[in-house]
Order: sequence, then structure tokens, then C-alpha cells
Amino acid sequence: MTRFTTLLTALAVLLGLAASAPAQDRARTKEIVVAFAAEPRTLLPDTIVDWTTNNMVEHMYDRLVDRDPKTYKPSPMLATGWKVINDTTWEFALRQNVKFHNGEPFNAQSVKATMDYIKDPANKTHYLPRWALVKEVQIVNDHTVRFVTEKPWPGLIDRIAGSDFLPMPPKALKEQGVQALAAKPIGTGAFRFVQWVRDEKLVVERNPDYWQTPAEASRVTFRFIPEFSARLAALLAGEIDIMKDVPPQNVEMLEKSGKARLRATVSSRINYLALVNLKPGPMQDLRVRKAIHAAVNVDELIQQVLKGRATKMCGPLSPINVDYSPKLQCVKHDPAQAQALFKEAGVDPTKLQLTLDTPSGRYPLDKDISLAIAAQLQRVGIKTNVVVNEWGTHLDKIKNRTTGDMFFLGWGPALDAQNTIEQLFLGKQTYSSYGNNAPLEAKINQAVTIVDPRKRLEAWAEIQQMVRDEVPWVFLWQQHDLYGVANWIEWTPRADERIWMYEAKLAR
Amino acid sequence: MRAYLLSRLGQTVLVVFLSLTAVFFLMRLGGDPVLLFLPMDIQAKDLTEFRERLGFNDPVAVQYGRFVGRAVRGDFGESLRYQQDALGLVLERLPATLYLAVAALGLTFLVAVPVGVLSAVRRGSLFDFFGMGAAVLGQAVPGFWLGLMMIYLFSVRLGWLPTGGTGSALHFVMPCVVLASFYAARMARLTRSSVLDTLNEEFVLTARAKGLAERVVIAKHALKNSAIPIVTLAGLDTGQLLGGAVITETIFAWPGLGRLTVQALLNRDFPVVLAAVFVFSVTYTLINLVVDLLYGWLDPRTRRQGARA
Amino acid sequence: MTTFIGRHGRGVLGLIIAALVVVAAGAAPLLVAHDPVQSDFAVSLKPPGTPGHPLGTDQLGRDLLARVLYGARVALFIGLCCVLLTAVVGGLLGLLAGYFEGWLGAVLMRVADVQLSFPFILLALTINAIVGLGLRNIIVSLSVAGWVVYARVVRGEVLSVKEREFVHAAQALGLGRARLLFRHILPNVAPTIVIVASLQFAQFIVAEAAISFLGFGVQPPMPAWGSMLSESRDYLYVAWWLAAFPGAALALTALGINLVGDWLRDVLDPKFRV
Repeated sequence: MTRFTTLLTALAVLLGLAASAPAQDRARTKEIVVAFAAEPRTLLPDTIVDWTTNNMVEHMYDRLVDRDPKTYKPSPMLATGWKVINDTTWEFALRQNVKFHNGEPFNAQSVKATMDYIKDPANKTHYLPRWALVKEVQIVNDHTVRFVTEKPWPGLIDRIAGSDFLPMPPKALKEQGVQALAAKPIGTGAFRFVQWVRDEKLVVERNPDYWQTPAEASRVTFRFIPEFSARLAALLAGEIDIMKDVPPQNVEMLEKSGKARLRATVSSRINYLALVNLKPGPMQDLRVRKAIHAAVNVDELIQQVLKGRATKMCGPLSPINVDYSPKLQCVKHDPAQAQALFKEAGVDPTKLQLTLDTPSGRYPLDKDISLAIAAQLQRVGIKTNVVVNEWGTHLDKIKNRTTGDMFFLGWGPALDAQNTIEQLFLGKQTYSSYGNNAPLEAKINQAVTIVDPRKRLEAWAEIQQMVRDEVPWVFLWQQHDLYGVANWIEWTPRADERIWMYEAKLAR
Repeated sequence: MRAYLLSRLGQTVLVVFLSLTAVFFLMRLGGDPVLLFLPMDIQAKDLTEFRERLGFNDPVAVQYGRFVGRAVRGDFGESLRYQQDALGLVLERLPATLYLAVAALGLTFLVAVPVGVLSAVRRGSLFDFFGMGAAVLGQAVPGFWLGLMMIYLFSVRLGWLPTGGTGSALHFVMPCVVLASFYAARMARLTRSSVLDTLNEEFVLTARAKGLAERVVIAKHALKNSAIPIVTLAGLDTGQLLGGAVITETIFAWPGLGRLTVQALLNRDFPVVLAAVFVFSVTYTLINLVVDLLYGWLDPRTRRQGARA
Repeated sequence: MTTFIGRHGRGVLGLIIAALVVVAAGAAPLLVAHDPVQSDFAVSLKPPGTPGHPLGTDQLGRDLLARVLYGARVALFIGLCCVLLTAVVGGLLGLLAGYFEGWLGAVLMRVADVQLSFPFILLALTINAIVGLGLRNIIVSLSVAGWVVYARVVRGEVLSVKEREFVHAAQALGLGRARLLFRHILPNVAPTIVIVASLQFAQFIVAEAAISFLGFGVQPPMPAWGSMLSESRDYLYVAWWLAAFPGAALALTALGINLVGDWLRDVLDPKFRV
């Protein structure tokens, strides 16, 4: 397109397209509008790890293996069943009579082509390291595939249940190439691609040939509104129907608005305050860490700052996590105990000067919570300097180990132990805050190789107890995801933060 | 004339080149960009591999050389965030910002200049008082505060205007007003003082003495001569408008270049930042060139001298 | 009398407002009993008129009146520091460039062009993206972005002052260059510097608000109107006072200083143009 026509088109887009219809009309025509803060980074599946991107891409592409929305255990989707053939081979049975949006059949070729796409370095996908253990995908027949791994990988099923493997159409990939597929996505999903106006909106429409009952919504528009208060204004004005992350203090007003209401769920995303022991300092003493944990009143934080919208945790894993062990005991809030521990460690809390690094606006009320924690520590005499970082700087500091003695972070979706504990409690991991514990590391490295499910659970239970006793964090909570949902839509949020309009039921 | 144009173009190239160099080195000081694009469960060795592949492990001088070599061919690399051509992304967003800036500039002229002229002509009157009062207020109120208040009033409460995005002429209203408020205010005050000065000049007194109608005096003589500072400010402001659009675009979800640049800065998307700097520089210096040429037409005395101070 | 008001009315109004702000900033501890950084969750998000909190409280239970008054200190501090830095550095550079012309002037103007070709806000943001957040860094980034105006304007003034009779006379008398520059030319350029400074003062304060809005604000828990406005966005629909009062304070301060700046310009140099 010449530069001139581009300019004209842009003007036409700005002026010509009809403004979004008000809520009543959309209820009649069954069109839903979802607001995100940012646009997708790509429309190619299996390429970029990004919550926003995957949420939208997965309307057009299906997962090979899904997670049950209630138990979060792996559940069939494009694969109907799976089993372990031997130590290094998993076999998947594929669903029959499924078609891509361009008519191509979904079969074993598609699975193999998708893995080839991921493992091709030229495609620069973020998922390549995640699938590094897979040697190849073997086609047994049209509806059966085998994943052959380099080493025993019992965790493969956890890896594959989710956004990490979304089958792509092999013929389209080969004939049209990756760029064409990026411009015009072709999947097996409940919705088909209509258009993407960069930085403005993405439109998809119902796929009538979907392998399950077609969606109730006839059309879904994703709008990108970066400013939070503008999103809320749009919800209140009836311009959009669904938005995420309503701050707890706005809930009452939302419920009274008559336009939308709150839909909340306990998320699989966890928040924690890391007590960094990777460099010399007070945090290297277990007693000091225990004392700090005892000085912080987690219940008060939840009640006062989050208005009750968080679920307390006692260890590194949340109850939603499939490897969770329920036998852990919370560290009690006990200022007297804290003082005793400080004395035992030979540390005078009134002489302590600690630094707490926090992001701002990344997790619900993260900055306010950090300030509140600092205030609580002040009650036992500790002076805390809260440093607010812009997100990139925060990650930089954690990776380079240049944060202060403590930092606030979240992690999620945290649905299995390996992707949580292995990432955060081995000293060499990028975002870990804890290390120098050889027995723990050995146990973790051993646990990830156990194939027998019962033995695995036992191993993780033991590790959770060990981690809890080491108090590497002040264990905080599971976030509550607060969504604003228009009154005419029936939709229940999921703990894995997936916003899938296939699940939306429309009120008559 | 041709020599003048050529020399100005040469200066443009120099300025753009210097801007890019400055930003290039500034950004390199800002920390690791790769972290922000990769998932949080990335292993250290994969991180290094990504950096290697993107060329960030090479010495800075080498990276700079590579950058210059590609930039002269219009290749600013691929956006780290979107895996798309950086310059293409920037140019895609440019029209939206230009339209907004032009509309705001138009609004500014439509409102500010008449108000300024009338205030000057009716100096000391009620109109002058309220006009300049509004102008001073317009310069003092922060744009984003105004924008948020307007959204609350006109979209949520009254439902007259959409909260943001594009799609109709109505979508232009609030962003334009917010963007233009500061510049219109400044322009009104400048117009007023400029016209006031000109009205006192000798040639105007002469024209009046000759018995010319007041309107002719103002239109033909005063305006043309007071236009110079107005045009200067408009030139400066257009460049600033492009940048001021940043906040307006963020609040009103306007898919423009300002918003893209801020996000690229926050996300350390080097290629996009550099491409944006390039586009801003070129646009700004071209506008300056137009302004200088306008000078020549408005005031023949400056024609021979060429550049402004 | 009416002529006095006509000529000086706005200036007096501006001075009164500015004086109020300065008094509020200076006397803050005397005017409010609350500590602006002390949080108290029991009274979070209380509306104005609550006993003990005439302007209400914010999400952490901090008294808003206290934060607005102490915020005046931060605002004035930022404005003053930025103005001093930019005026001194920019003024000096402009002075030198204007007087010594030649390559120094040319280089300076090229650098100025380069910097001006990048929008002010984005330049400040870029610098903050590198040096980080916090009060000191905001002053740094605003100053770096803002010195250019002085350099340009002062250089222009020096160029024109240089041609005046008394300068030629002084040169004929054999006065040293430094003496000429600082004792004769500078005083004539000073009014310009003062005028630009007064116009920029308010702009710096408002610019801090814009930078905080975009995410690079002053460190908590320090009260600064800009970051207070930025934080108020999350509570816009449930606690309007969090945006209204800091916003009004900001607008009022900018208004007062602008009025003073206008008046200075009218008084010191009636033919002055931006």
C-alpha cells in the first residue's frame, strides 16, 4: 500500500467505522466487548508467553489438553486421552472430526507440525526452552501421537495442559507461511478471526462448525484501553462488558451502578514478600526471617488493604495447586515471639534498616501493601525504606540480585509444583530469592524426575514442609481476581485467569 | 533559494543523526531489555541465548555500528515486544497522532486566535478579563486531570460522548479539547500581546490617520505583522503537540504514536524507541522548515537572512 | 486607582496566591496536626468533613489536608530547583554562546535543536527510565529537558544587546571580556531570564504531575501533588476528593505563578515576546 493510501485508510478508520453500539443493542445481537489494558503481541499461537496475548489467541485456537475449570487438573480438549508408554514416551489420543477454520482436518500431522514450529529457532518462540526436553513427536496414526522426551519427564502433562501447546494448521503453515498465519489466524477454536485494528481492537465471530456446541456469543470485540479509570468509565457507561482487576475499594460502587456487577474468583496467582538470602545480610539468619514473618500481620493486610479480597497461604503452594499439601501450619503473627527471636539472633530490631523493593500497579495494591508492611515492621522498631520500581527495573534488580533485603513479587498461574518451587527456590534461577540450601536443592532436583504420581505427591509434600520451615518468604496470599461483568452476561471467572468467551452465557 | 533548502535539509539530517545517537546510548544505559520480553520462568542460559541472538552481548560500539548501517536503509530492526518491523509499527501509528495533532492545532487557531485578537482590541473589557482568565486557567490545569474529569462528566454521567477509542467524529471531541487546552490558552495570550504591540506601532497609527476603517486596519496590517510570533509558537507547539499527545492518547485509548512510544520506553523496546525518535525528529525539523519558509512570506525582511536566531 | 488595578491587578492577585502557597508550605506543621505519611487503616477513604480530617483521607488513611499542604513543599522545591538549575546552566550557556558566537554558538544551537526535536515529556521520561524514580531524579530529568529554552532565548537577547551603544563604548574603553559579560551584558539580559524563569516554574510543577501520571513519580510515601493525582485514578469514582484537592492545589499554584510571571513581563519589558 502506498503511503498515501495508508494515510487515507487511517482517516477512514478513524471516522468511518461506526462507533461501538450501546449495551442494549449488543445484548440483542449477542455481541460481547472485553477490555484489556494492552493489545496482543502477536496473533500466532505458541510464540510469545504473555497473558493478554494468549487470552485472545485462545479464542481462535484450542488447547491440546485443557484444565478443568473446577479442579484445575488436566482435562481432554483436542486430545481425548493420554497415557505413559515408557519412561520417555507419552501417548496422546486425538479427537476426531475436528476441522480448522479453513477446512483442514485436525490430526496427528497438525500436532507434529506445531512442535516443529516451536522447535525451529528461526521462529524465535518463547516456548522453545519450555519444550526443550521433547526430542520429537511421532505419528502413530492419524489420531494418535507420541511425545518422545530426552529424559524422563513426568511433568509433561502439566506443561501441555494449558497455553503451551495450541495446534496449528500444517497445510496453511507450509503453503502460506508463518507471516500469513500471523496476519490471518486459522485455528480450531470457538471463534474465527475477523479483523485486528492495531492498538485499538480485535474482532472475532462465532465459529458455527465448532466441534462442541457453538458459542452463545455471536461476536466478541476486544478493546485495548490502557488507562484503568477509562476502562472503568467504559464499563460504567455500558461501552464494554468485561474488565479485569477492579480495585477492592471500587466494588461497592460497581455493584450499585446498575450496569455491571462484580464477579470474583480466587486466583492461582500468588503474592509473596521475598526475604533475600542470596547475599550477606540479616536475612541469611533463619531466626531473623522467622522474626520478620512473625512481625507481619498478614490477616490485617488482607482485611484492611485488600478489604478481604485475598486468600491467605501458609506455604509456597496454594490449595489450587495440584501438588498442594494440606498439612502445613501457618507462621503465626506474634510480635512477642518476633522480639524473642531477634534477641536470640543477637539482632536489635530498632537498629535494623531494611530496604523493600516493590513494583507499582503490577499486582493488586502492591505498593500500598508494601507500605503497610513497612508500617507493621515499624511497630517492632524496624525502619524500612520502601523503594518503588518501575516494572522493568524491578525485574532487573531481582535478576541481578541488586534488590534490597526484601522484595514483593507475584507468581502465576501457579498450578503445579515444578513450575513454582523449582523456579523460585533454586539459587541459580532467574527470579529466585533463596538459595544456598544444598539438601533442599537435591530434593527438588530429585522430585521432578519421579514418575509415580503418589510418590511424587509425597516428595512435594516433604519439600513444601522444608520450604515452609526455612521461611524464605513472608507467605502472603492468593490474589482474588476481581472482574467487572455487565449485567446481561453470565460468566464465571477461572482461577487460571483465562478469559474465554465461549463460557459466557447471555441473559435473555 | 535552492541552496538554502539544501543547507536546511543537510542540517535536518545532522540533527536526526545526533538525536538517534544520543538516544541509542542513553537507552543502553537503562538496563537489560531482554528480561521484559521473556516469560518469568526463563532459565539463565536461555536468557543469555536470547541476548546473543538479538546481538545485545556484542560490545556497544559494534552494536552502534550495526544500528547505523541498518538505519540508513530504513531498517530499525524488529520490535522486541511485537516481533514486527519497528519502523513499520511506528509509521502505522503516526497518522492517528497526526490527525489528532492537526485537529487540536485547528481547534487552537479557531478558538485562540479570535479570542486573542478580540481581547486585544477590546482591552480592559469584560471579554478581555474572562478570556484571559480562561486562558491562564487553561495553562494551569494539568491535561490528564481535565481529561479524567471530562470522561466522568460527559461519558459516565451524561453519556454524551464515548470514553475513548476511535470510530466517529464524536471520538475526536474530548481528546482534541484536552490536547489543545494548554496550547490554545498559550496561543490566546500570545496573540493578545502580539496584537497589542502591533496596534501601537507606527504604521498602524499611520493607517488609522489615513482614515482606513478599523476592521481593515486590524485585518490587513496588524494581523499580518503580529503573525510572526504566532507562527513561531505554532511551529514549536506542533512538535510539542506530538509529544503532549502522549498523555491524551493514554487516557482516551487513542491508537497513536505517543502512546506507542511511552509503552516502548516502559518496555525497553529499543528498536521502537529509536524508530519513534527518528520519526519525531524528522517531523519536527520539517515543520521548522515550513515555519521558516512562512516567515519569509510574512516578513520579507527575514527572507535574505534565512535561518532564525 | 482603576489604572493600577488594570495594570497591576493580575500581578497582585498572583502574588497573593503565590504567597498563600508559600505560607501553606512553610507553616504546614503548624496548620495540621497529622503526619502526612502516617497511615491508619481504620480511617481509610473517609470523605471531607469527617471529624479531624477536613479534606478527607486517602486509601492508606493518611490525612489529605496534611498531604496537600506538605505537597506544597515538594512542589515548590521541585519548581525552585529546576528553575535554578536550568536558569543558571541555560543562562550561562546562552550568554557564552551569544557573546562568543562562532563555533560555540553553532554547536550549542545544534544541540538545542536536537533536544527540541524530541517532545519534552518523552525526553524527561527517557531520562527517568534510565536514572530511576524519585524526587532527585525527577529534578534531574526536568532540568535536562528544560535548559534549552533559556539557552535559546538568552542567546538571542545577548546577540541584540551586543549591538547596543554602551557595549561598543565599553569595548572601546578596553574593558576585559569577563567584566563586560558579567557586569554589563548580564544585567541587561537578567530581566529576560527572570521572565522565562517565572513562566517555567509553573510548567515544571505541572510536568512533575505528568511524569508521575505516566508511572515515574516521586517515591512514596512522600506527598507530591503529581503522584497523589496519579494514585487517585484508582479511586476516582469512589473518592473524588483524592483527585479534586491536589488537582485544585496544583492548578491554583500554577495560576498564581503564571499571573506573577505575566505581570513581571508587563513591567520589566513590555515588548518581550515568548
